[in-house]
Amino acid sequence: MDAATATKLAAGLGMGLATLGPGIGIGYLTGRAAEAIARQPEASGDIRTAMIIGAGMTEALALYAFVIAIILLFVA
Amino acid sequence: MAAEVTSKVVESLQELNVQTIVRIPKVGPFDFSITNAVIYLWVSAAVVFLFFFIVSRRLRKEPDSLQTLAEILIGFATGHLTGQIGEKGRKYYYLILTIFVFILTTNLIGLIPKPEVLKPYTPTANINVTFGMAIVVFLMTQYQGFRRHGVRGYLGSWLLPPGVPRVLAVPLNGIFFTVHVVGELFRPLSLSVRLFGNTIAGHLVILVMLGLILQFASAIVIIPAALFVVIMTAFEIFVAFIQAYIFSLLSVIYIEGAIYAGH
Repeated sequence: MDAATATKLAAGLGMGLATLGPGIGIGYLTGRAAEAIARQPEASGDIRTAMIIGAGMTEALALYAFVIAIILLFVA
Repeated sequence: MAAEVTSKVVESLQELNVQTIVRIPKVGPFDFSITNAVIYLWVSAAVVFLFFFIVSRRLRKEPDSLQTLAEILIGFATGHLTGQIGEKGRKYYYLILTIFVFILTTNLIGLIPKPEVLKPYTPTANINVTFGMAIVVFLMTQYQGFRRHGVRGYLGSWLLPPGVPRVLAVPLNGIFFTVHVVGELFRPLSLSVRLFGNTIAGHLVILVMLGLILQFASAIVIIPAALFVVIMTAFEIFVAFIQAYIFSLLSVIYIEGAIYAGH
């Protein structure tokens, strides 16, 4: 396997692996938020805000990997 | 075959490149050429300015549709976003409202189809634009921290509270301070990469799907791909709102953290 192929493989594999953690995280987060809203519907506004902040923080992890994948594919 | 597949798909990705409209020779490492990204940035800035300017000139007791929209936006920025800071946060709503409306406009402007002379481009799909905005928020945060607490007070809020034995305090404070400085410096990076990544990822997926349509001109590919593009575009509109909201909400939280540092 030459260097160019290895770079492409690394970009694809890295992106796929990096979505695993945030995928689990956002799923867990949204599930818990839905549970909390079901238990206390009057607090749904605050819960939704907290959920969106958490989701933003979590998905940033996948986006770092995405940026690195782009750098590997198009720049490096 | 494999080389053929990459060619059409990669070709469609060229749409993401900036298109130079007016070429200005480079000054040192800086390129001041006017590209379509710059033009759409100006257009969205003008849209935001003109919207609020026109609305503020014709305020009425019985609001029309434009005024209602502006009132909703301002109410959202003062209440939901900067309302979290409390009484001290009242004056930041100008900054936060501008950030929110500007990001929303720049996100949405790239989704409108446009002629070949001036190709569509989402300014927020460029890391320079988002990083610039994140730096503004970063400078605002640090300025507020230093102004409200003084250099000693603000930097002191990053350390352990007084009363810890000296033997423990000196090494722990070193670790605390380093972690805090790195954390502060990573905030603009994560803010900008989040917005940039979300915007460009959606465009990349749409362009790859369009490239697949061009590549395999058969119904088996075209029908699902076209459907997927439609759904993805709708999702992009949703993402445009969510990302503008997250960027401004996180800015509020960072500024709030600096105002109430040490509490």
